[in-house]
Amino acid sequence: MASPTPTTSRRRWGSTLAGALILCVMLFPLYWMLNTALQPASGLLQVDPVPGSLDLSGFSKALDDQGGHLLTSLVVSLGAVAICLAIAAPAAYGLARFGLRGSRTIVFGTLITQMVPGIVIANALYNSYVDLGLVNSYFGLMLADASLGIPFSIVLMRSFMVSIPGEVIEAAQMDGAGPVRTFVRVVLPMSRNALITSGLFAFLFSWSDFMFALTLNTTDDVKPVTLGIYQYIGAHVGDWGSVMAASVLSAVPAAILLVLAQKYIAAGITGGSVK
Amino acid sequence: MAPLAAVSVLAVGAALTGCAQQRDNDVYTVMNSSTDETYHRWDAQAMARCGKQLGVTIEQQSVPAAQVMTKALRMASSKSLPDIVQFDASEMPTFAEAGGLVDLEALGLSTRDIPEGIVDFGSYEGTYYGAARSVNTLALFYNKDILDQAGVAVPTTWDELREAAKKLTRGKRYGLALSAGGAEDGVFQFTPFMWSNGGDETRLDSPRVVEALDYWKALLADGSLSKSTVNWTQADVNDQFMAGNAAMMINGPWQVETLNTKKSLRWGIAQIPVPEAGAESVGPLGGAVLTVPNTGDEERERTAGRIVACLSSEKEQLTYALNSWMVPANAKAAAVWRERVPELDALADQVAAARSRTAKLGAGWSGVSLALQSAFQSALTGQSSEAALKRAQQRATSGN
Amino acid sequence: MTTSTVTAQAPAKASGKAAAPGPDRLRRRRRLAQWGFVAPAVVFMLLFFGYPLVRNVVMSFQHYTPETFFTGEAPFNGADNWSNVFQDALFSKALWHTLVFTAGSLLGQFCIGLALAVFFTRRFPLGGVLRSLILLPWLVPMVVSGIVWRRILDQDTGVLNSFLDALGLGGHTPWLTSPGMALLSVILVNIWIGIPFNMVILYGGLQEIPKELYEAASLDGASAWRTFRSITLPMLRPVITVVLVLGFMSTVKILDLILALTDGGPADATQTLGTLTYQNSFVQLDFGAGAVVGNVLILVSAVFAVLYLRANRTEGK
Repeated sequence: MASPTPTTSRRRWGSTLAGALILCVMLFPLYWMLNTALQPASGLLQVDPVPGSLDLSGFSKALDDQGGHLLTSLVVSLGAVAICLAIAAPAAYGLARFGLRGSRTIVFGTLITQMVPGIVIANALYNSYVDLGLVNSYFGLMLADASLGIPFSIVLMRSFMVSIPGEVIEAAQMDGAGPVRTFVRVVLPMSRNALITSGLFAFLFSWSDFMFALTLNTTDDVKPVTLGIYQYIGAHVGDWGSVMAASVLSAVPAAILLVLAQKYIAAGITGGSVK
Repeated sequence: MAPLAAVSVLAVGAALTGCAQQRDNDVYTVMNSSTDETYHRWDAQAMARCGKQLGVTIEQQSVPAAQVMTKALRMASSKSLPDIVQFDASEMPTFAEAGGLVDLEALGLSTRDIPEGIVDFGSYEGTYYGAARSVNTLALFYNKDILDQAGVAVPTTWDELREAAKKLTRGKRYGLALSAGGAEDGVFQFTPFMWSNGGDETRLDSPRVVEALDYWKALLADGSLSKSTVNWTQADVNDQFMAGNAAMMINGPWQVETLNTKKSLRWGIAQIPVPEAGAESVGPLGGAVLTVPNTGDEERERTAGRIVACLSSEKEQLTYALNSWMVPANAKAAAVWRERVPELDALADQVAAARSRTAKLGAGWSGVSLALQSAFQSALTGQSSEAALKRAQQRATSGN
Repeated sequence: MTTSTVTAQAPAKASGKAAAPGPDRLRRRRRLAQWGFVAPAVVFMLLFFGYPLVRNVVMSFQHYTPETFFTGEAPFNGADNWSNVFQDALFSKALWHTLVFTAGSLLGQFCIGLALAVFFTRRFPLGGVLRSLILLPWLVPMVVSGIVWRRILDQDTGVLNSFLDALGLGGHTPWLTSPGMALLSVILVNIWIGIPFNMVILYGGLQEIPKELYEAASLDGASAWRTFRSITLPMLRPVITVVLVLGFMSTVKILDLILALTDGGPADATQTLGTLTYQNSFVQLDFGAGAVVGNVLILVSAVFAVLYLRANRTEGK
């Protein structure tokens, strides 16, 4: 490729500038969150546009109070991702490849699941959870949170797996590999992008879950950070510095994950939605 | 994939070890809404003392106030109710009506030394289900420095309040802050205006209630109240007051703990102004009551009753009230408290005349409350008070 | 949506393969193994979505009160809950707000998301970094977004009004405190939340469009707008379907954002079917009425999905 002429180079940097402007507008609320968090002493009502000095006391308090809940969120979300992928990936493969009678109905069913409001699900689940001893347990919350990602992951991965060339799979079968082996050895590695994308979505859904955490727990044993922040703004607390600091902290793990997974996402979704 | 799998194995392990919750013979659970760190600690200390005295372990589960009722109902359906539940007094009748509570007098609790109003506060249809440790109500908080500077005396009547608020409104500062938010907070704040004016929750469209709402509208029209009033909770109101954005506010004693964290703020407290000089200032009686849910295990219920008795004993009430700035329910404790906290004298007077929200309507209060919220929000954002309250009355009667 | 092409080809392949080994038993065993892949997901979805759905429908015909939690008895009361809910003036209001909220949110999210996706297909320095940073709002739990925005939009002390004031644009806009504005403000916040999702998926779709098509178009001298209309949009159609259908379903039932921002107020101006379900069930403790509203919510979603998918299919042919 030829090196860019001065005009196109200027135009490119113009695009960068425009992109940066858009970013500023989009990220302003997050900046404001951080800004408020850094001015815990100001009494929320007169927040300066830029923090005058670096006051981290809001953060240290938030970390003290919410550190454990962040960890809980992390464990629960990772667990939910594992469950979600373990259930959704085989199903996606089965629906994409086996031509089972009723496949269409099942795929349509995944669509219907998206229509049921979370509050309806949480309400119904509680009693079954009590009978199964899943209330106040990590595993119970992981299962419930996994339900947020499963339908989406099935649809996404199924479309991706449809596009895997049939010859590759047939070749594996010729070599005498059974369906399980073919799936693990051939299909999964080829679907890496879709797997990562689904996993990321599942993580995000679970990370921001509030409804299940609220309804499926009766004690403080399993308290993710969304619930922690909600309780933070109780009737008597006016400590907005710490609340905002906790909010910032709640976004950090997800942000790290996003940066790490970024390059797989576009590819994962492309295969997913087009076919 | 490998690290993911490893984490999930760890997590499942944690789940298996971390979730066991069965009823231990000597372990009793109290569910309350003390999610604030300070309140949680005070309650934990009180429970430790009572536990020691009764030879049992008392554990505390704190859930957000708005969740106590739904949590308790869910636990009832799964037969996993805690031994003691602390309900907001306005919610208790609903649970009692459903047959969920045990008569405290049958468990040996006495109502001696408790003022009649507070016994009623914890009763439903004549049965005493809820022991209050402390009660609270609303009062007028004012910023001493701002009032002194403006040369404004603490108002005692509606006219004076309106005048004072107008004078105190300067630049970004409003004369008065109150909560007219679309939740129980707002209704709680409206009741002193409605009741002191002779209005009543059983007839929302009566001229007395309309007048009270018109008074709020007038404050707003004067510019003495922020337009954000309709979006504020009582905690927001307190934030505004602390930041100096409001010279006066209507609020309750539970804010004192937070108010005192700002050392430079000099505040005073007075009874809520009344329509005419000499009229009685009737505020809402607020606070939580300790109840013993009906679990069917009479042995445990009896012990739970003893725990409630200990937590609401004169001594514990005083400790709790001094910590939380609320007024002890017990008359003797309240007398001692008055001496110890003279600056909250106005509050003690207001409590003595305060009225319970559910006394007339019982479990029907929640429907009326919703209708009323909608009415004052409509009126404050443009509608006529009369039309808004007429609709509210229709909604309240059709809904029940 | 995505089914038609696949199911048409797959059975042919499967039967062609099955003809070789022979005995019925072997074939049945393999079918069984194949179902083993799909069964866990089906069971999971039946438990976590099917059961709640059925239960909710049944509950909407029951007199379900706080007492029910103790006795377990909820007598059937015919269509009482339904007629009560439909007679409530709040219901029609909430239904209307829900439709406005959903349409407004989707329109905003989609248009801005698409514009940004197209913008980021350009190659320019730092493009990738900027593109991934723009996803950040999406990572913030909705409860948290609600809290932050409520502060930003405060009429007296919010930074948005201070900013407008500094620009001399008034600055006393009652974003959340006037019934006329509140719904619009809630929609704006929800658009902000939804842009990243729309952008990510649409960007993915754009990447998939063969570059040759654009090269051909530019050789023909087609304008940018024409290229967009006659190449980008048609090629993007399947992706657009996914974005809009999923977007509709998640937007129509939104609850936590509205609770955090306005609690349904002021004067019920932001009351939607989602908040009404919550209010009926958990504030009024009338679970039957709550279930009715929940069912209406599901119905609205279903009607939209069917209409949209059908329209899209016929148009696509």
